[in-house]
Amino acid sequence: MVYRIANRKAPAALVATALGVGSLVLAPLAYLLLRALQAEPAQLGSILFRAQNLELFLNTLWLVAGVVVFTTLLALPLAWLTTRSNLRGKRLFTLLFALPVVVPGYVGAYALLASTGPGGLLEALTQVAWPRPSGYWGSLFALTLFTYPYLFLNLRTAFLGLDPSLEESARSLGVGGLEAFGKVVLPQLRPALYAGWLLVGLHALGDFGVVSLMRYPTFSYAVYLQYSASFDRIYAAWLALMLLSFTVGLLYLESRFLRGLSLSRVARGASRKQALIPLGAWRPWAYLFAAVVVMLSLVGPVLSILFWTRQFPFDSSFALLEGLYNSARASLPAALLATLLALPVAYLGVRYPGPFSRMVERTAYLGFATPPLAFALALIFFSLRGVPALYQTLALLVLAYALHFLAEAIGPVRAALYQTPPKLEEAARSLGSGALEAFLRASFPLIRRGVLASVALVFLSCLKELPLTFLLSPVGYNTLATRVWGYTSEAMFAEAAPFALLIVLLSGLFMGMLLAQDKS
Amino acid sequence: MKRVWLGIMLVLFGLGLAYAQSSLTIYSGRSQALVEPLVKAFQNESGIKVQVRYGRDAELLAALQEEGKRSPADLFWGNTSGALGQAAEYGLLLKLGSSLLSKPVGFVPASGTWTPLSVRFRVLAYRLDKVKTADLPDSVLDLPKLSQFKGRIGWTPSYSSFQDFISAMRLMYGEAKTKEWLLAMKALEPKAYTSNPSMIEAIRAGEIDVALTNHYYVLRFVKVGYPVGSHYFASGDVGSLALVTGAGILKTSKHITEATRFLLWLLSPKAQQFFPGEVFEYPVIKGAVLPPTLKPLEEALARSPKLDFEKLDLEGTLKLLREVGLL
Repeated sequence: MVYRIANRKAPAALVATALGVGSLVLAPLAYLLLRALQAEPAQLGSILFRAQNLELFLNTLWLVAGVVVFTTLLALPLAWLTTRSNLRGKRLFTLLFALPVVVPGYVGAYALLASTGPGGLLEALTQVAWPRPSGYWGSLFALTLFTYPYLFLNLRTAFLGLDPSLEESARSLGVGGLEAFGKVVLPQLRPALYAGWLLVGLHALGDFGVVSLMRYPTFSYAVYLQYSASFDRIYAAWLALMLLSFTVGLLYLESRFLRGLSLSRVARGASRKQALIPLGAWRPWAYLFAAVVVMLSLVGPVLSILFWTRQFPFDSSFALLEGLYNSARASLPAALLATLLALPVAYLGVRYPGPFSRMVERTAYLGFATPPLAFALALIFFSLRGVPALYQTLALLVLAYALHFLAEAIGPVRAALYQTPPKLEEAARSLGSGALEAFLRASFPLIRRGVLASVALVFLSCLKELPLTFLLSPVGYNTLATRVWGYTSEAMFAEAAPFALLIVLLSGLFMGMLLAQDKS
Repeated sequence: MKRVWLGIMLVLFGLGLAYAQSSLTIYSGRSQALVEPLVKAFQNESGIKVQVRYGRDAELLAALQEEGKRSPADLFWGNTSGALGQAAEYGLLLKLGSSLLSKPVGFVPASGTWTPLSVRFRVLAYRLDKVKTADLPDSVLDLPKLSQFKGRIGWTPSYSSFQDFISAMRLMYGEAKTKEWLLAMKALEPKAYTSNPSMIEAIRAGEIDVALTNHYYVLRFVKVGYPVGSHYFASGDVGSLALVTGAGILKTSKHITEATRFLLWLLSPKAQQFFPGEVFEYPVIKGAVLPPTLKPLEEALARSPKLDFEKLDLEGTLKLLREVGLL
């Protein structure tokens, strides 16, 4: 059931808040333009009209398309299994399916490469040398495994918020199960699908760690190479802007699809619990599918990390606790702040759809797609000129994380808002509540699941973040991720292993806590 | 809700400020694993508190430029002489005193703005059971002649050490000959990697047979039983280029005395022993005990072609690499 809401005027305070958030995210873009405009015309020509650009563009396009298709093939059935079917151990499986997102791409891809081929871990275990992933398929494989949870979490939230009466009505009218899924359920999942695709697509677009290890040249791979090699901020700014124009294309596509959707319940009374669908003879296949995914995306990398500790003797004492503490106290506030900032933006976008609210929402995605190195340099630039006291403080790092990962927080909140009828708030308003109070009391309890998913996504991203952490954290501030990177880049895998494991463990605990709360 | 947030932010802000106050601040392009043990030892001995910001050379140089005069950094510790030369060219570094620069046995830059701290060498890594050393050339310039390795050579065009090596080749043999070498190599369809550890993994997994890399990467993998060996090109060959790491004091430093003391300490026999002992790099002063997998210091130093390391022109190299389509 999809119908349109008439355009209404949004409250000024809401517009101002959303606008404020949007302009904060846009600051790095302003910085990039500033730097880019310093270029000389001759230099510019050689950047823009390189023959390789077309090949990189096509490579990127194929990779993004492939990752979107394959993550859907994993995430859609898995989300359905953990919400609508009578699969046992749903909560455990939910946790296991969400967890691969905590494996940093640079670690996961390295683990894949180190465990395959003659002499690798898999040969030691199975006596057969496994083929090594590389190039397009290698990148596609690794990126699919480590990003599908973004789509999974979005879809799961959507499945849980579905109004069962719609599907039941369809079934009562004689529509078959599969057909009802296609005609009634799938359309209702669209906001979640689009938000998830966008995130997964942007991850594939911006990924450097995986494609560089797999040796598959994409656009952001090239951007990164130039950036890290050239010491040249002007050149880098142009390349970042080229990458951003690609993002604008993706955003345009998504907004075309999403225009004017409304998927909230309109019936009176509370939404009922959905009946579970028995798997019957499919049950063993469902378990097999789940097991294969968990093996490949989680057990494999973790085993590989454990193997490092055995293979490489470790001799140095490591600052695990310090890393843990630093990772948590930057990532947690950032996750909360990002979600707080995402609320007005998502609310405006869902309740007052229009060119303005769409634009504000898109801005958040631009922030996500800005290469983090450029993002960091921009914040150095602005903080030193605006609020020097803020520079190299934890507060700035938290702000940077929150702004950069804002887009990840918007998706789940938005999907949940789409499923919350505006009528409730209107009723609260008519009973004398103010706009904010009406939202907090009528809508907020209903979107709590979405809010939790947002917090979780941003937290996990912050945990493994590198470039922002390197450049913006207080001096001498070591996180788990910076330790992992520091050791692996020097081929000191045994030293890196405990930190990598702790990232996975910490994220696992956090996810477990969130999902446990989610049950009620 | 808002007030709670404000409170949280203020507390975090305060914590951040507390962090920012320390007596010596280093920006290190070298990774934590290679720097932290030394920093800790210095802290214990001197009582001077040291904070380190880690990153890659290019990132830190970009950050230093954005920070300008407001930079809190006292020292820049670079992983390549290319980055240090760049820092000197940007005018970021102070001229160091002669008492400091007289300590290293070589590699002191003409500008005197930074001191070498350790040395690594370029080598050719090869798979022990597939490659006979007799088949490997004396000069890296002859590498393109090995057509039997077509598609089975690894290199790292985006890695700073490789770029220093190309810069040296340009300096010694000129632009045209270097370009010719790169194109002849390209004809052998080498595989490009972005990190050296993953390239050595590729040798182990049978993806390639030989690879142009730095000597210590091979040694770190040999230590854990990988079937990999190092082939050293002849003495004076550009394929045996020394790669110098070093550090300089930034003009923005407000702790020049402490920074100088730290550099002097890094050149002391005790600190220098860390490089061969823990990470298989060569020290820059005499008298350190080298593990058996390293060559004697004099022999190693004699291996590298003699050139002024500050003349290694990175920008021209990047231009050339882009021109032949490697970047």
